Amino acid sequence: MAGPHEVLGMARLLGISTTELLGLYSDHGGTTLRFGADGKCVFLTADGCRVHPRRPLVCRLYPLGRSVDKDGVEKFARFAKEEGCEGEFGADGTIETFLESQGVAPYIEWSRRYGELYGRMLGLLDRLDIQSKIEVSEAGGPGSGAGSGAGGTGAADETDRSPLSSWQDIDASLADYCAAKGMAVPEGIEAAIDLHLRAIREWLEDLEARVDTDRGGTEGATS
Amino acid sequence: MGDKKERNSVTRRDVLKLAGTAAAFCTSFGFLHGSQVGGVAQDKHLGDIKGEATQHKWERAELKWYAGATLLHSSAIPTKVAKHLESDANAVVEVKLFRSGQLLRNLGAIQGKH
Repeated sequence: MAGPHEVLGMARLLGISTTELLGLYSDHGGTTLRFGADGKCVFLTADGCRVHPRRPLVCRLYPLGRSVDKDGVEKFARFAKEEGCEGEFGADGTIETFLESQGVAPYIEWSRRYGELYGRMLGLLDRLDIQSKIEVSEAGGPGSGAGSGAGGTGAADETDRSPLSSWQDIDASLADYCAAKGMAVPEGIEAAIDLHLRAIREWLEDLEARVDTDRGGTEGATS
Repeated sequence: MGDKKERNSVTRRDVLKLAGTAAAFCTSFGFLHGSQVGGVAQDKHLGDIKGEATQHKWERAELKWYAGATLLHSSAIPTKVAKHLESDANAVVEVKLFRSGQLLRNLGAIQGKH
C-alpha cells in the first residue's frame, strides 16, 4: 500500500516525478508498489530497500500492524515473521519506542488527514445517485469514459497500472491546481502534501456544494 | 450571500472521479470504515496477526444487478470462480467489461478475504 504522499516521498528520493513512479513501480491502479515474479517488492535489492528513507508507513510499522477503530482507539498487533525476512524480532522495548525509531509520526498524521477527506468522499457518494450515472456509462457511446478511470488518459490498460484517480499523482495534480490558481508549485515534500490536501478539500467542497444545489433543485421540483 | 455563483450539476465524470479517488484511498491507505464514524484502519491485514480468519466462508456466491434499489436479476457465480476465491485468502477475480473483444473497463477485483 502506498498513499499519494508516500509516492511523492519515494519519487523525490529517486529523483523522478510521481507520474513516473506510479507508471514504473506501482500496481493495482497505483495503490500498491509493484512486486516481482519472485514475490519481492520492486524496491527490494540485495543491498536492502532502495527507498528506505522514504518508505511507506506500512513498511515502517512492520512487523507491527496498526488499526484505529470507529471511536478513534488505536491498536497494534504483531505479524508473524515472514519467511526470508532478515529483520531482528524480539520482545524488548515498547511499541512507543519502536514507532519513534521508525519515524512514523508524520506518516500517521498524514494518514489521518487523508482519512478525513476519504470520509467526506464516502459521505458524498452516499448522497449521490450513483446508479443512474453508472448506467449511463455502461450504455457506452462516444465519450463514455471507458477505461479512463478518474481523470485518466483514456486508454484502457489491461495491466491495471493506470492510477484509479488523478489525485494519486501529486506532481500532476499540483501542476494543474497551481496553474489554475496562478501560483508556484511548492518544492518541499511537506508543503506539497499540505497543498495536495488543500486542493482535494477544495474539490470536495465544490462537489458538496453542487450536490446541495442539485438536491435543492430536485426537492423543490418534487415538493 | 450576494455573490452566489452559478454551479454546474454533478456529472457522471465527477462521480467516477470521486468513486475512483475513494477506491484508491481505501486501498492505498487501508481505510476500512465509513464517513460517519470517521475512524480508519491503517492495516487491513491485522486479522492475520490476531489469528482471525481473513477469508469469508460461504455456501453460495451470487451476482446481483439492480436498477436503483430494484433487484433485476440474480445469478450464482460460476463454480470455477467460487472455488478459486475459496481456495486462498489471496485469490483474486477481476471483473472487466468487453465489447467486440476490446476492454471497455476494469470494474475492479473481488477477493476471497475481507
